[in-house]
Amino acid sequence: MDFSNLLHNYQEAVAMILFAIGFSNLLLQKNLIKKIIGLNIMDTAMYLFLAVKGYIDGRKAPIVVDGVQSVEAYVNPIPAGLVLTGIVVSVSVSALMLSLTIRLYRRYHTLDLDEISTRLKKEGL
Amino acid sequence: MQFVQNLPFISIIVALFSGSLSSIIGGRKARWINIGMISLVTAMSVAVLVYVLGTGESYVYMMGHFPAPWGNEIRIGVLEGTMAVFFCVVMLLCMIGGSREQFAEIEEGKLNLYYIMVNLLLCSLLALIYTNDLFTAYVFVEINTISACGLIMIKQNGRTIVAATRYMIMSLLGSGMLLLGICFLYDLTGHLLMSNIKEQVHILDQSGQYHIPLLVAVGLMSVGLAIKSALFPFHSWLPDAYGYSTVSSAAILSSLVSKGYIFLLVKIFYRVIGFDVIMESKVINVLFVFGIAGMIMGSVSAIKESNIRRMIAFSSVAQIGYIYMGFGLGTEAGVIASLYHIFSHASAKSLLFLSASGITDASGDSTDFFDLTGAGYRNKLAGVAFTAGSLSMVGFPMFSGFISKILFAQAAVEDTWQLLPTMIALAISTILNAVYFLKTVIRLYTPEKPKVLKKKNYKTIHAADNPAKSVALVCLVVLNLVFGLCSEPIVRAIQQGLDMFA
Amino acid sequence: MSSWILLPVFLPVLSGICLLAASFRMHLAQVRGETGSGFLMWALDRKKLHTFVMAILGITAVLALAAAWTGEHSVTLFYLMKDVPVYFHIDGIGRLFVSIVTLVWVLAGLYSLAYMEHEGEETGYFGFYLIVYGVLVALDFSGNLVTMYFFYELMTICSVPLVLHNGSREARMAALKYLFYSMCGAYLGLFGIFFLYKYCGTLAFTAGGSLNLSLMQGNEGILLIAVFCMLIGFGAKAGMFPLHAWLPAAHPVAPSPASAVLSGIIVKSGVLAVVRVVYYIVGAEFLRGTWVQNAWLVLTLLTVFMGSMMAYREPVMKKRLAYSTVSQVSYIMFGLALLSPDGMTGALLHTVFHAVIKSALFLTAGVFLYMGGRTRVDQLRGIGKEMPVTIWCYTIVSLGLIGIPPMSGFISKWYLASGALNSGTGVFEWFGPAVLLVSALLTAGYLLPVTLNGFFPGEDFDVAEVVKKEPPRVMLVPLVIFAALTVILGVMPNGLIGYIGQIVSALV
Repeated sequence: MDFSNLLHNYQEAVAMILFAIGFSNLLLQKNLIKKIIGLNIMDTAMYLFLAVKGYIDGRKAPIVVDGVQSVEAYVNPIPAGLVLTGIVVSVSVSALMLSLTIRLYRRYHTLDLDEISTRLKKEGL
Repeated sequence: MQFVQNLPFISIIVALFSGSLSSIIGGRKARWINIGMISLVTAMSVAVLVYVLGTGESYVYMMGHFPAPWGNEIRIGVLEGTMAVFFCVVMLLCMIGGSREQFAEIEEGKLNLYYIMVNLLLCSLLALIYTNDLFTAYVFVEINTISACGLIMIKQNGRTIVAATRYMIMSLLGSGMLLLGICFLYDLTGHLLMSNIKEQVHILDQSGQYHIPLLVAVGLMSVGLAIKSALFPFHSWLPDAYGYSTVSSAAILSSLVSKGYIFLLVKIFYRVIGFDVIMESKVINVLFVFGIAGMIMGSVSAIKESNIRRMIAFSSVAQIGYIYMGFGLGTEAGVIASLYHIFSHASAKSLLFLSASGITDASGDSTDFFDLTGAGYRNKLAGVAFTAGSLSMVGFPMFSGFISKILFAQAAVEDTWQLLPTMIALAISTILNAVYFLKTVIRLYTPEKPKVLKKKNYKTIHAADNPAKSVALVCLVVLNLVFGLCSEPIVRAIQQGLDMFA
Repeated sequence: MSSWILLPVFLPVLSGICLLAASFRMHLAQVRGETGSGFLMWALDRKKLHTFVMAILGITAVLALAAAWTGEHSVTLFYLMKDVPVYFHIDGIGRLFVSIVTLVWVLAGLYSLAYMEHEGEETGYFGFYLIVYGVLVALDFSGNLVTMYFFYELMTICSVPLVLHNGSREARMAALKYLFYSMCGAYLGLFGIFFLYKYCGTLAFTAGGSLNLSLMQGNEGILLIAVFCMLIGFGAKAGMFPLHAWLPAAHPVAPSPASAVLSGIIVKSGVLAVVRVVYYIVGAEFLRGTWVQNAWLVLTLLTVFMGSMMAYREPVMKKRLAYSTVSQVSYIMFGLALLSPDGMTGALLHTVFHAVIKSALFLTAGVFLYMGGRTRVDQLRGIGKEMPVTIWCYTIVSLGLIGIPPMSGFISKWYLASGALNSGTGVFEWFGPAVLLVSALLTAGYLLPVTLNGFFPGEDFDVAEVVKKEPPRVMLVPLVIFAALTVILGVMPNGLIGYIGQIVSALV
């Protein structure tokens, strides 16, 4: 195996590792708050990936200050736009998850989803 | 440009704005806005479908008049038009049929929130159907998830909140993978519009470059959407979510929400990656295996279930399995069969959920299997409707399920190695379906002993007692019969639509 | 325009639905504790109900026979899918089956008028009875495989309520078993249809088969598997091993006239389906000498022997008759499996004779139930002294089933045996007739004790206590007619043999 590409693209590699951490936390953690943290790590990893992909060394943000320069001087603004959209989505989803967590905590006084499920079964509802 | 070409965009916007409008008015008025909006959108979708059928080709609608690689687009062909009309009709019937339950089960102050969620759901479904832009699709997938979560938890009890939480977790895992896949594709191709990505993917495929990243992207997107549409091992949230939410939520969730994701997956297969590239990748084989497993395991769980609502919910797991199995066949006939099954399952499942609520109403609100004895006599219309829905699910001739099974089997016969597993799975799953659905039907029509009758809190319900639900049930039965008896134009439309995709 | 041939399909189905609606309202009225009015009262009145049912049965019978015997009609109703029409076409074999169905249905209907008083819920029973009749006529008239499958499934679903009639736990389990096996069978059949759809030019029934030989090249193996699946699948309805177990469970729990039509007619639709597949779609030529034919022969002989053995050991009268059906219908399947003209003639003859005889036997069992609730064979001692006419009818048809001349069963068995001897199927040439002979002896062993104990109850039986009491006339007349038919068809079989010979000559 040739790992030189991996080293060269270390930023993407970090993003992927972060994504994996977030994904496994969201999947495997029992505690709801930890799950939400996992979700946020996962989303942040995506932003990192997009930002890294959208940046080209030596170019500037596409804001025209001193007259029109050639296209080569700017980076593509779309990845940044995608990151912004992603942040909006992620914030709303986190808010929803947190509100669900609050409801569950008020009702069952625990953050452990499995425990809540077993209690539900006992209730027989 | 003709005015009718604007309608898809207008219908999305109308759905979105009716949601905003509902937030400032009371629940009952919000209901009328909701019903009126869905009817309006239905009418507009029909107009679009007629237009597209008339011209015989799809068209692209540019948002803000920016041309292809820069602007955002929506694209309408025959298949998109048919899907939109069908989704609107089913949603309208579900909302009308479950209106009494909505008033009874949702807190008065939160009623308008429910209609906001439904409006948003329709908006996001339409956007998923029409959009030609992958990132827009992702955004609306999230909106879809959030509003679906709202539909589940609007009826407040422990079960629904836990179900909503589980649903959110699963969905977030799925949309994380979807987003990662989309970013990979964007990275590889430099585009977000489906048609442009497809050109680039074609070039990549020809040159053999980036083979593995492409495969990973396809895999991530397929698995992500499969998780979101509750393919077999990811279905743990489903029975509680469908079983304990209010009836129109359950009907809409099972028949439309999961289908929206599946339709997006079909679009990704055909419009983004290209079906031959998908065929070469082994991703569809994975979908095939999980689809088959879902067909069997879903039915087995349904047999073990004694709560009728949860039983119907587990049956959804099996039916989603059918759809993925059809994709897994890797032929166009398989995809056509799957798309037809989207129609037939949606019409049968919403019918089953609505009629099941009619049946449980007549049995003292108990969903327990044994309390349903003789319920077919107490609520005639719901009993007949449930029987019709069951027969459709079992694949009895004359009903929609039969046609989709024929299509699946015909698709499987064309193929080589998937033939035997498909046929065996179809056979076993049909029989298992028959066991639990017909068992319930027989239970419905077994007269209850007079002694027990007096003891229990049963009441007789006439069709005229709840006219809204009766109308919805009759319409859905007719819909099932239409799909069972006049399948030919629909199959032709699907075929035509898929040709337009390519 | 010959679309009027659909009248005998729609008339009974629609009137059956009317009766069901009435029965439904009746239940409702009971639940609510009110008295009904109008049509409801009318349907509650037994006499008027009976007149209505018999009128519909009569009209339908006339229409069905008229449609069958006035030439070759074809009707396309509508297209189910592209290239798949729902299509009716009347041909020789359909004619034969429609005639048997009509005969048995009218006579058993007549019998039900009196019998169903004792079972209750008459309106619902007659509703389904009429619907199944219409569906069966449609099944016999079907002109292609998909149409036939369509009505085959419809028949299964509509006949389940007949099994379910008394609503007991036992009946429910039996009905589920019936559904389960039928669904398994029908699905295996459907599985085969998909294959044939690919390899056949058309799914319309063509004498001699419509296989497309060039398409088939190299795919014979898979096609044989498909045909075998269809044989097993449609054989389920005909009670063929390995999907036979529903039959002894479902037939006995139904009301006796319903068991009569289940055993006499409904199992025959499995036979019809097999005939259609083997002789009208695949063609006998394709199967001759293949492993499918051998496996099929083995299965039928196994079923013949096993059914007789089980019947011999069974103490409950109706169950004994149900096992007997398992065995006797496999005689028919054996004849079909021989793929020779004589075998097929014998099979079709036995179809007719068995329909008549088994209906009569179940109706007699119904008489035993109706007159004193006797279900077990050992309760029937001295019954000949009590109802001599009934027992004489029973004896005549029993002799027919055993195959003793001059009763009808002898002729069909003769053809079956001679067909086997000249069939060129190797070991089955002599093994088949031997099994048939053993089974005939067993048949005698399980049917005749009723007659013997009935007329000669033995020394310790007090004859003086027996009151002579025949069943009501509406129940007796069908029995006598069936018995007379058994003798008449046995003495003068030439017309029937000639007609069947015509059908067979076009096929094999």
